[in-house]
Amino acid sequence: MLESFASFLSNTGAAALFQDGGLDAVKTLIMLAVACVLLYLAIVKKYEPLLLLPIAFGMMLTNLPVLRDSSAIMMHTEWFTDTSYMIDGHSLDVGMIVREGGLLDLLYLGVKLGIYPPLIFIGIGCMTDFGPLIANPKSILLGAAAQFGVFFTFIGALVISALVPSIAWGVKEAASIGIIGGADGPTAIYVTKSLAPQLLPAIAVAAYSYMALIPIIQPPFMKLLTTKKARCVVMDQLRPVSKTEKIIFPIVVTLVVAFIIPDAVSLVGCLMLGNLFKESGVCDRLARTAQNELMNIVTIFLGVTVGATATASSFLTPSTLGIVLLGLVAFIFSTCGGLVLGDIMYVLTKGKVNPLIGSAGVSAVPMAARVSQTVGQKENPSNFLLMHAMGPNVAGVIGSAVAAGVFLSMFNGL
Amino acid sequence: MNIDPELISGEGVTLSQAMSMGGETIVIGLSIVFGVLLILMCVLYVFGLIFNKKPKKTEVSVPAEAAAPVVEEPAEEDEEELIAILTAAVAASLNTSTYNLKIKSYRRISDNRPAWNRAGLRETIGNRL
Repeated sequence: MLESFASFLSNTGAAALFQDGGLDAVKTLIMLAVACVLLYLAIVKKYEPLLLLPIAFGMMLTNLPVLRDSSAIMMHTEWFTDTSYMIDGHSLDVGMIVREGGLLDLLYLGVKLGIYPPLIFIGIGCMTDFGPLIANPKSILLGAAAQFGVFFTFIGALVISALVPSIAWGVKEAASIGIIGGADGPTAIYVTKSLAPQLLPAIAVAAYSYMALIPIIQPPFMKLLTTKKARCVVMDQLRPVSKTEKIIFPIVVTLVVAFIIPDAVSLVGCLMLGNLFKESGVCDRLARTAQNELMNIVTIFLGVTVGATATASSFLTPSTLGIVLLGLVAFIFSTCGGLVLGDIMYVLTKGKVNPLIGSAGVSAVPMAARVSQTVGQKENPSNFLLMHAMGPNVAGVIGSAVAAGVFLSMFNGL
Repeated sequence: MNIDPELISGEGVTLSQAMSMGGETIVIGLSIVFGVLLILMCVLYVFGLIFNKKPKKTEVSVPAEAAAPVVEEPAEEDEEELIAILTAAVAASLNTSTYNLKIKSYRRISDNRPAWNRAGLRETIGNRL
């Protein structure tokens, strides 16, 4: 009786906490504290709660103290990152993961095999209206300019790797960090899981947190890089867009992207599939499922498992600090890239384009467009920039998916 | 593309390697992104040329429709159209058919809401965006 009670005690989480000594116990406790802080940000501050809450809780689940080799372990991050667990040292041992893995291991396969982000893109496509972009084609270039931060941060990450001895980032890590500047969660996750899976939790947390902070990050730079006169510009009303155009658009985009950069097709293609569900008007049921149930289910799986990759050994490193810093740099330079092209368009069109819509080129839909609207309305209360800003905003989604494709085609398989 | 082994592993990257690799990537990356989106822009301009012709006709009526309910436009507008809109609006609010109504006269009123009211309205709209 007393014996079985003692063996129960030695199996508790509290006992497991100290199995690897005091330092690891402290690290575990720090990780649990970080998870609680993120939960606080999600629940009380409402920072992208739909994603941050599952990420934070996944982080908590994976850091709960469990005895080594216990069947209660929900996630074995080492199976996905440590080459000694892989077949021939490079390809994932899916069979072993399916046979022996915990719940989160199984769900994480959806991230690792690149299933979830494209599925989320189908849902996003269903909710996206490309009408404003079709009506004002030049706004698509603002979505390209706002990818400047992605590539600038790529350089930044390599420079930090050269200067800071404790950080060893190669081109793959630098590309994964840079893509934060695309301000697109699924795209960032898609690139990172292929190029630098060990950085996934830090990059996902940085990307989603900064996305929630866009209304705070962007306005100072919007004021800095535009003149008051330009901010007051009222743009011409957009032309009405016919249904035929809206139906042909997703098909053409998929073809064009596929012919130039095939690596971007799994994202762009799914985005356009979802959009075609909606615009065709004949797949109403599919469109509804894709943007509601499917997307919600995938979001839960994605959030929890991405959070669950944040173990103390992968998260409590100088890299995480650097990623948080560079993520901010990426957002700022993407915003500035869009604004500068907005200014150029303002000059070239002799004041017909309001440069504030440039900052909406970062693809956080529709938050970035809302920020353009709010800042514009502060200068000129009767100005409605929202629809004009939606053009660059949805172009930004295409732009960051193409940027992701560029990185994947350059660095995947190195 | 040839990439130095230091740049792949991340160990012992030198500043000059970082700058040259970064510079190369920024040029390649931005030009591909701009290239793809430039092509899409051209496609969209072609769309505009093909599809925007027919809507031109209806476009004349669209601004009039949008402007009429504001009832602030100068009276040079197409009167028949305005009366049609007023009839439709009255019919909708009385829940009856336009056939049962006859507009005999109409009078324009200016927006005499107090400034605070207008500011409040604008703020409410702004908050919902």
